[in-house]
Amino acid sequence: MKDNKRTTIRITKADVERAFKKAEQFKRLLKKGRTKEQIFKDMLRLIEGGE
Amino acid sequence: MESELTQTIFNVAAQFNIPAIILGGLALPAYNVFRTTIDVDICVYIISQKGLDEFVVALKREDIETLQQPKIEHDLFTVFRHHSEAEIWLKPCDAFSWDQQMLEKIQHYVDNISVLSLEDYILTKLARADRSSIDIDDILQILINNYKNIDWKYLRFRIKWRDLMREFKDILQAFEIDINNEYRTIGKTIIDKFNGS
Repeated sequence: MKDNKRTTIRITKADVERAFKKAEQFKRLLKKGRTKEQIFKDMLRLIEGGE
Repeated sequence: MESELTQTIFNVAAQFNIPAIILGGLALPAYNVFRTTIDVDICVYIISQKGLDEFVVALKREDIETLQQPKIEHDLFTVFRHHSEAEIWLKPCDAFSWDQQMLEKIQHYVDNISVLSLEDYILTKLARADRSSIDIDDILQILINNYKNIDWKYLRFRIKWRDLMREFKDILQAFEIDINNEYRTIGKTIIDKFNGS
């Protein structure tokens, strides 16, 4: 069941700090009025823009 | 939403009553997380080769092609139309398949697009064979921005199900790193909630 090919998990203080900051950035986006749905659609538009 | 590739795939899945979800980076905003991605990962629940063949033929009618001959035992196949492409997974993760509970916990996301439950999504990140630091970063942010709403008991059940307790505890340990008071409080809450589940 366990797959030993997976890399070991190593998380540094900088990783945790960055995760908290990025999490805060997302909350700020929501506070500015963006919705999760709009963010998804913007992402999709960027990816599929050429179609 | 315009009927672009992703939307068309979901429309076709809906015509056949095939449960379908968005996976990967595109699903992250559903869990209050954002990062850039160029991949479209869609997962469908199809149980027979006949059903899969019908789905592929229906996609072709919408000009969505694949160069592969998808088989029900495969993990995924790639489809494309014009300049866009998407990976269509037949299981939520290369490490596990659909089950009834996972299906029942699917959540609506946007229009007719759904996502896995937050807890099952975490598992797709933790269990995948080619797990990277990006997956770990995603999990950290999901825990930070959703710790009040996570079904911790269900998450524990899923982690034990895939024998990933040591890995998840490695992630939890990161929340013991002292950064500042606010982060320490959130980190301690996350650890306590998991330990209390």
